Amino acid sequence: MTPADLAIRNVTYRAFVELGRAPTIGELAETAGESPAVVAAAWRRLHEAHALVLADPSAVTPSVLMANPFSAVETPHRVEAAGRTWFANCGWDAFGIGVALRADSSIRTTCPDCREPIELDVRDYRPTESSAVFHVLVPARDWWSDIGFT
Amino acid sequence: MLVFRSEAHVARWLAGRTPGVTMPITKLAELAEAWWWDRLTPDWQPHARQQNQAILDRLGLTGAFWRLS
Repeated sequence: MTPADLAIRNVTYRAFVELGRAPTIGELAETAGESPAVVAAAWRRLHEAHALVLADPSAVTPSVLMANPFSAVETPHRVEAAGRTWFANCGWDAFGIGVALRADSSIRTTCPDCREPIELDVRDYRPTESSAVFHVLVPARDWWSDIGFT
Repeated sequence: MLVFRSEAHVARWLAGRTPGVTMPITKLAELAEAWWWDRLTPDWQPHARQQNQAILDRLGLTGAFWRLS
């Protein structure tokens, strides 16, 4: 990852937080002062380095799918934090959003078994009360084999 | 990587599949704090695999399941 790629990564994350959603390639190019082609090339390298996840890296104008812990698309893991609603990629990321933002959060997700809602208030990065549990199905060495499934 | 109402719900959801690892939600919170703490810091640098492995080790998440490579 080059310093220039790192700079694009940081601008992408900052824009995600400021906008409350994933920036488009046009928005990011304007913010970064680079051409869309330069941003697309940097995003593809960042995707390969697992620094973010593109929806389709081979697309002419790629779009960000995940800037972990943030999701660019609606998921079953909704997080209220820092005055906004975010979507997380998984249960782990749901807790990560409040951590990254340095904010208390409220997580609303759904039990994959019974489909009942699970609501978690998180203060100082810890749940205030819950008997819920977290399950990791995929071994760590395989997490990036299919990050969407993981 | 999913949150369930209880271990019984995990077992039912697995429906005989090989389980992974289940942990209390409080342990997940500890893991998330360590893993995501620097994600938005201006001087963020990509974590080396050894750094991430050290986070898992420090939290007692050890053994073959938690090896990153």
